[in-house]
Amino acid sequence: MDSLQLLGQGFATCFTPLNLLFIFVGVLIGQIIGALPGIGPAAGMALLLPLTYGVPPATAIMMLAGIMYGGQYGGTLTSVLVNVPGEAASVMTTLDGHQMARQGRAGAALSIAAIGSFIAGIGSVLAVVFVTPPLAAFALKFNAPEYFLLALLGITATASLGSNSPTKALMGALLGLMIAMVGVDPIQGTPRLTFGQQGLIEGIDFLPAAIGLFGIAEVLASLERSEQAAPMRTRLRDMWLTARDWADGRLAILRGGLIGFFIGVMPGAGPTIASMLAYIAEKRFSKHPERFGRGAIDGVAAPEAANNAASHGACVPMLALGIPGSASTAVLLAALILHGIRPGPGLMTEQATLVWALIASMFIGNLILLVLNLPLAPLFAALLRVRYAYLAPGILAISLVGAYASTLAYTNVWIALAFGVLGWFMIKLDFPRAPLVLALVLAPLLESSLRQSLLLSFGSLGIFVERPLSAALLACVALSLLYPVYAARRKVG
Amino acid sequence: MKKSDVVPALLLLALSGAIAFDTRRLSFWDDTTPGPAFVPVWLAVAGAVLFVLRLAEAHRMRAVPVEWPARAALVRVATIFGGLVAVPLLAPWVGLVPALALLVLFVLLFVLRQALRPSLATAAITVGLIYAIFVAWLGVPLPRGPLGL
Repeated sequence: MDSLQLLGQGFATCFTPLNLLFIFVGVLIGQIIGALPGIGPAAGMALLLPLTYGVPPATAIMMLAGIMYGGQYGGTLTSVLVNVPGEAASVMTTLDGHQMARQGRAGAALSIAAIGSFIAGIGSVLAVVFVTPPLAAFALKFNAPEYFLLALLGITATASLGSNSPTKALMGALLGLMIAMVGVDPIQGTPRLTFGQQGLIEGIDFLPAAIGLFGIAEVLASLERSEQAAPMRTRLRDMWLTARDWADGRLAILRGGLIGFFIGVMPGAGPTIASMLAYIAEKRFSKHPERFGRGAIDGVAAPEAANNAASHGACVPMLALGIPGSASTAVLLAALILHGIRPGPGLMTEQATLVWALIASMFIGNLILLVLNLPLAPLFAALLRVRYAYLAPGILAISLVGAYASTLAYTNVWIALAFGVLGWFMIKLDFPRAPLVLALVLAPLLESSLRQSLLLSFGSLGIFVERPLSAALLACVALSLLYPVYAARRKVG
Repeated sequence: MKKSDVVPALLLLALSGAIAFDTRRLSFWDDTTPGPAFVPVWLAVAGAVLFVLRLAEAHRMRAVPVEWPARAALVRVATIFGGLVAVPLLAPWVGLVPALALLVLFVLLFVLRQALRPSLATAAITVGLIYAIFVAWLGVPLPRGPLGL
């Protein structure tokens, strides 16, 4: 069956009242979470993951994915109206978006961002439809050595591309791997690194760790500030784009969308880097680069198109290879595991209904988000007037219940609190948290495939270079580790 | 080089040492296959290498100042965290939902100094949401207190 037929079946799965409701709820929550400074899509997904225990896996994944890309739309509101990015991927939007708002063009900025996000999002999902199946089919040739190198690449690429300091990112990833070693050895069943604590025998769950690292840590960091900037007002009639706006923005959307998708597909890069690169590229392509930073509409269109395209592009390695490309897809992958689904290249064939329903849900979700963000943007803008002080304690309370509900034990509440403190320190010391989360998710695959490889080769490391596929992956791992050294030297030079 | 560069690197080194120490009784290699200590030991080695690399990077690059919060903000964060810690301690005695209601009120009234009525309303809405979603919908058996909540 070809991709379009499978996509048709995916739409059929989506068009049930329950699934449509959960897609709507997911994108709505994503939109709200994206708009609220201090809590990003990954945090929102981790916090709301326990809510999906009672629903079928496909429904749960569609809702969580909705939060992921809905967050990219929502982040624009705060960037444009308050000059504070709702989440990291909207940082570049503040540069020109808020300037436009100050010039009385907030509506146009929100409009081009919504349209750009929609076009790039739909284009990106179409690319997911055609890129993912052949990649997954190719990955079915993978064996233990390739799986090990792929998991390693997921971690090293995140560290080398997703941070200002590769050593800090690698330290975060290593910490994640070390934490994942706690519990029982996956092959022989021997307890290790429990330091005599019975409560650690079952290891450290991903969910309370993610809730602490993202949810609790981000709320604590946000509550350091007691003041809250008032959002600027916008009206529905201000949202019409002029012919000039559209002419200035359409190519920016196209370029931003393309950059976003390719960056999103690369493990570790994610929407934040995509939006930054798209902005830089757009400024370089522009005939009037001097307008950037002073309210250029293409300076809003490009990063917004890029961040949404990247959030969809990150689904390609997750669905085809079982390797998350960002913190949000790491949570999505963890959700699959929690629902008893084994991620990896077999996912496209073993769980075809779920995968194609997820992809189809992205088309529907983007359409809902366009409606939410064009006529209803002033309504969401009004939401920004709710004081964060009243939202934060509620988020903290839900974080603790979510941690408790995952195993019905207080141990997970303590783990979430410990990771909350760790996450707060990581924010303060500028350590990226995504590598830690990715390492936590990838550690079981990394360890078991490494040990299986060495078992197959009787301990010879040659197994990692004998097959062309594994040799190529090893070269990619080496490149991902050497690239930061090259980049640092180029910077100095 | 700043303390903020050295301390995390030192902590990673200490963690690596602890891992090497705890896995010393486990086998590293069994005949033809890696044992349970194989990966942890290599991670400990990687930790030691990263310790050196991080110090070298911090020495080479100009230190970026850490934005620590002002004293008042730090006290606010520490107090809120204290409230969070109190939840799993109080919950076995008063029930999880009432403990969370107390947390919300504590943060709003005592730490963030918000008005009484909206704070009570926020606590009621939060508890209502938690009860509706986790207890009524998902059927999660949250620990109850003497009031049956």
